[in-house]
Amino acid sequence: MSRPYRSPHLRTVGLYALTLWAVITLVFVLPRLLPGDPLASLSDPSSGNFLYDPTARAKIAAYYGLNKPLVNQYFAYLAGLAHAQLGWSISQNTPVTTIIARRLPWTLLLMVTALALSSVISFLTGVTAAWHRGDRIDRALIVALSAARTIPDYAVASLLLVALAVVVPVFPLAGAKTAFASYSSPFAAIGDVGRHMVLPVVALTAGLAGNKFLTVRNTVISTLGEDYMLLARAKGLPRRLLKYRHSGRNALLPFVTAVGIQTGFAVGGALFVETVFSYPGMGTLMNAAVTARDYPLLQGSFLVLATVVLVVNLVVELAYGRLDPRVRV
Amino acid sequence: MTLPAVTGDAAVRARAVPFWRRRPGMGLVGGVVVGAFAVLAALGGTLAPYRPSAITGATLQAPGTGHLLGTNGIGQDVATQLILGTRVSLVVAVLAGVGTVALGGIVGIGAGWSRGWVDAVLMRFTDVVLVLPKLPLLLLVGALTGGSVVALAGLIAATFWPMTARILRSQVLTLRSRTHIRAATGFGAGSWYQLRHHILPDLGLLLIADLIPAAGRAVALQAGLAFLGVGNPAQPSWGAMMRDALNYPYLFETSAWLWWLVPPVLCIMALVIGVTLLGTAAETRVSPRLARHQR
Repeated sequence: MSRPYRSPHLRTVGLYALTLWAVITLVFVLPRLLPGDPLASLSDPSSGNFLYDPTARAKIAAYYGLNKPLVNQYFAYLAGLAHAQLGWSISQNTPVTTIIARRLPWTLLLMVTALALSSVISFLTGVTAAWHRGDRIDRALIVALSAARTIPDYAVASLLLVALAVVVPVFPLAGAKTAFASYSSPFAAIGDVGRHMVLPVVALTAGLAGNKFLTVRNTVISTLGEDYMLLARAKGLPRRLLKYRHSGRNALLPFVTAVGIQTGFAVGGALFVETVFSYPGMGTLMNAAVTARDYPLLQGSFLVLATVVLVVNLVVELAYGRLDPRVRV
Repeated sequence: MTLPAVTGDAAVRARAVPFWRRRPGMGLVGGVVVGAFAVLAALGGTLAPYRPSAITGATLQAPGTGHLLGTNGIGQDVATQLILGTRVSLVVAVLAGVGTVALGGIVGIGAGWSRGWVDAVLMRFTDVVLVLPKLPLLLLVGALTGGSVVALAGLIAATFWPMTARILRSQVLTLRSRTHIRAATGFGAGSWYQLRHHILPDLGLLLIADLIPAAGRAVALQAGLAFLGVGNPAQPSWGAMMRDALNYPYLFETSAWLWWLVPPVLCIMALVIGVTLLGTAAETRVSPRLARHQR
């Protein structure tokens, strides 16, 4: 397919812009699509918030812009987003942006660590399994990593919690750092945060590694019969080079795509795992928001997480063309 | 997501299904596990010794004669909740599985069959839904809609159909170019006739092979969503049990986690693994040729 050189990138960026717009609009439309009126309790005589005076009710509706046409509400909402205003959290009585800015770094810390770790693990195990395809190592790896992929993150996390924080209390039960701790040195602080990270990251890594493993294994197997592998072997290259440089490198492409797709999975996994370990990130935040039915907070969290996932996917897809000059999608 | 084309000798080896999948035992084990849970769900009312919400004894009672799996933090019978929790999991699994395949089927077959701009529009739409982070979306919409069983199944289907749609679309595109379809077109068969008599029968097994993993995913998701607080709080479910247990402030001061937290976790794992085994067996049975792109 011959296309102008620039066009694929533009198309990709366009698709992601479209998706971001869809996300933003969804957050606007959903609550308005569902039955119910946010100010219903004001006009309900049986509720504690009942306001007898209709003009006062109208004033409150006007304050929230709910008396304006939907189009005006929509543009006001977009204007707010442009100023990084995600609304006001009902349960915490704080701007949503402020709350998320405090929580997001912890989630990103877990996600990035787990994505990096799982990439290394799945790459090494995938190449090894492909190299030993059919024999006992391969079978053991397939069973182990398929199990890791199948068992839900929160189940793995709960079992890890019970095993390594309760039965054998090696790691802390909950949180991201010791409460009220004063550290003698910055290293002690890093060590403390690291110790709290271990179990959540392991739980998250297990699922992610299982997902990528098969991609790597299958791609590597498909390179094994190639002529260049035969030549490399005939040259007498050491096994390590054959394994990782000649066949492993070819598995990188689908692997990189998988990493991009996995950001979405990692977000989901992080939400679960954080809840198990009471880790102070977006997961526990959304969990609290669901319990309190704090919709502005939920909507803001969804918007921010969706943006993170979209940006990572876009970067991966743009990098894709650079990594493999053969790709001209 | 284009995997490099595989040709020649390597293709045979890469496509060959690993033999651990070929063992007939997998489908059997999966079937037995899922069947056992189905029986539990069906007989739940008569098997369960108590009513799920009834307070039946002291709090955090250890497993014993009156309470096979002890009691939870407010004195409800854990075994009862565990047995009745099977129902939500299985109902959501079936409904969400069918819904996912139905939605994915309509979009995928529609796109693959009509081609042209309909295909382009549908596939762009599919791409958009595919990259949305699913769990945050489910949390948001689930919290907004209240999370009844049917709503939950519908939501899961509405977020997870794109993968099925992609698989089915590519399959329809290949089928379309086969000679028997071309011949039918040549004889003047209409689109609807061809879809019903040629395309759907050819896709039938693939649809089933896609339904089972979708159901497995739904089990994990339903429990996970209940764990995060989305779901009908009056209905016992494994995820809600995990939530209650982990939210109990002194869970780990006693050994109550052993009979309160661990059993629902193990049940979720067993059912998810059972369904997955069944799905892998079905996939292998359907056609090794269609070995799907593993991500």
